[in-house]
Amino acid sequence: MVRITFIQPDGSRREIEAEPGDSVMQAALAHNVEGITAECNGSAACATCHAYFQEDRLGGLDAMAEHENDMLDFAACERRSGSRLSCQVKVTDALDGMTVTLPEMQ
Amino acid sequence: MATPVPVMDDISIAALTADPYPSFRRMREAASAVWVSDARINLVTRFDDIMTVERDHGRFASTNPGSLMNKVMGHSLMRKDDEAHQVERKAIEPSFRPGVVKNHWTPVFDAIADRLIDAFVESGETDLFGSFAAPMASLCLNEMIGFRNVAWQDLAAWSQALMDGVSNYGTVPETATRAAAASDAIDAAIDAVLDRYRDRPDATILSSMLHAEHAHSIEQIRANIKVIIGGGLNEPRDSILTTVYGLLLNPDQRARVEADPKLYRPAFEEAVRWVSPIGMYPRRVTRDTVLGDTALKEGDQLGICVGAANRDQSRFSDPDAYDVFRDRGQHLGFGAGPHFCAGTWVARQMVGEIAVPKLFDRLPNMQLDDDKPARLSGWVFRGPVSLPVRWEV
Repeated sequence: MVRITFIQPDGSRREIEAEPGDSVMQAALAHNVEGITAECNGSAACATCHAYFQEDRLGGLDAMAEHENDMLDFAACERRSGSRLSCQVKVTDALDGMTVTLPEMQ
Repeated sequence: MATPVPVMDDISIAALTADPYPSFRRMREAASAVWVSDARINLVTRFDDIMTVERDHGRFASTNPGSLMNKVMGHSLMRKDDEAHQVERKAIEPSFRPGVVKNHWTPVFDAIADRLIDAFVESGETDLFGSFAAPMASLCLNEMIGFRNVAWQDLAAWSQALMDGVSNYGTVPETATRAAAASDAIDAAIDAVLDRYRDRPDATILSSMLHAEHAHSIEQIRANIKVIIGGGLNEPRDSILTTVYGLLLNPDQRARVEADPKLYRPAFEEAVRWVSPIGMYPRRVTRDTVLGDTALKEGDQLGICVGAANRDQSRFSDPDAYDVFRDRGQHLGFGAGPHFCAGTWVARQMVGEIAVPKLFDRLPNMQLDDDKPARLSGWVFRGPVSLPVRWEV
């Protein structure tokens, strides 16, 4: 299992144990983590699973495709350097101990 | 304890077409799925049940051997799941990305909207269905597909013929014939231009299909272009009209939106929730299972009524009201799950940022025409079929 800590906009933290192979979005939904809508359920079409990943560990994540890169500019909250669509990031051992901060809205 | 699907044999297609919402409410209150005899399908109307269906394509498939859509359009991505669907979806993405919409398509849409309004701005009255919404949606779609020398009226007629064919659950023979003729005409329009994109890729959908990592076959191009003509025309047309109608019916909201143009975007989203242009689409039950409080059998055909779910009281307060300022929350107007509307960002821009704001800007003090009331129709697809307005000249 891979430990991921989600931080809500109000600062509250919650650690989950994610299943390798799932996306971070799926792991969050499976553990009822608030703040991820995922309208398109992982198709990178809706930008409602936006999250801010730990900036010093972005290199360990799946690479960002052109489509995700475009979509992130249109997320409801501002794009920052750690921004990813959590549906496009697979849970791997490289994510163990990662913190993921959720935006004010999706 | 799950119970069998209840039967409602007192809901007619005619009643659903005139105003589906009272019937939708009865169905939502009755069970997770309801057999409507006249429509010959099990209708699913609750928000949470539809989310369950859309998150589980193993139990609730889009693939469908008996699909009316496959018969009318060929086997498109709309009736595929998983890998087969993803590959075709990915192929068209470059034409639909929000950044491409903003940078490439916005000037094209802007010019079309202005040209259309120029033609009637001095007249002081018009029916926005025929003078604006229908040509706007059709001309924009024509550009996006990459057709040349196709009249907007022809594209609109093809779209209507296909949609009638797909929603022909009553199986009227003339409707099927018209849909087949439209299908042939679309194939010819594709053949007339396809080669021009082979060596000169651009932002058009035909070009994206040809130049994708997994390029479309000609059969895939034909089927998917037909789905896009069906889904890319009625829906922006209807949502332009529904947004204008919602704002004109609610002068207080209209005043606030006109004062702060950023609010046109939520005005559009609320219109799509209030009167969802695609009201119903099908799914197939793959094995005996339970949905909510209802037992379903393998092979059951489900009609997923997002038009009903978007008025689910457990999800939306005062759901029958058009309210731009309601709490922001997910609606199902674009569907949910892997088949989430590919044209979402095109529609947000075309309708919410261009067509509707331009109408309010350029037609001073636009009002509903008291002598000619607006008419709405449909339940599988729903929207205004006539929206007469007047303004000061």
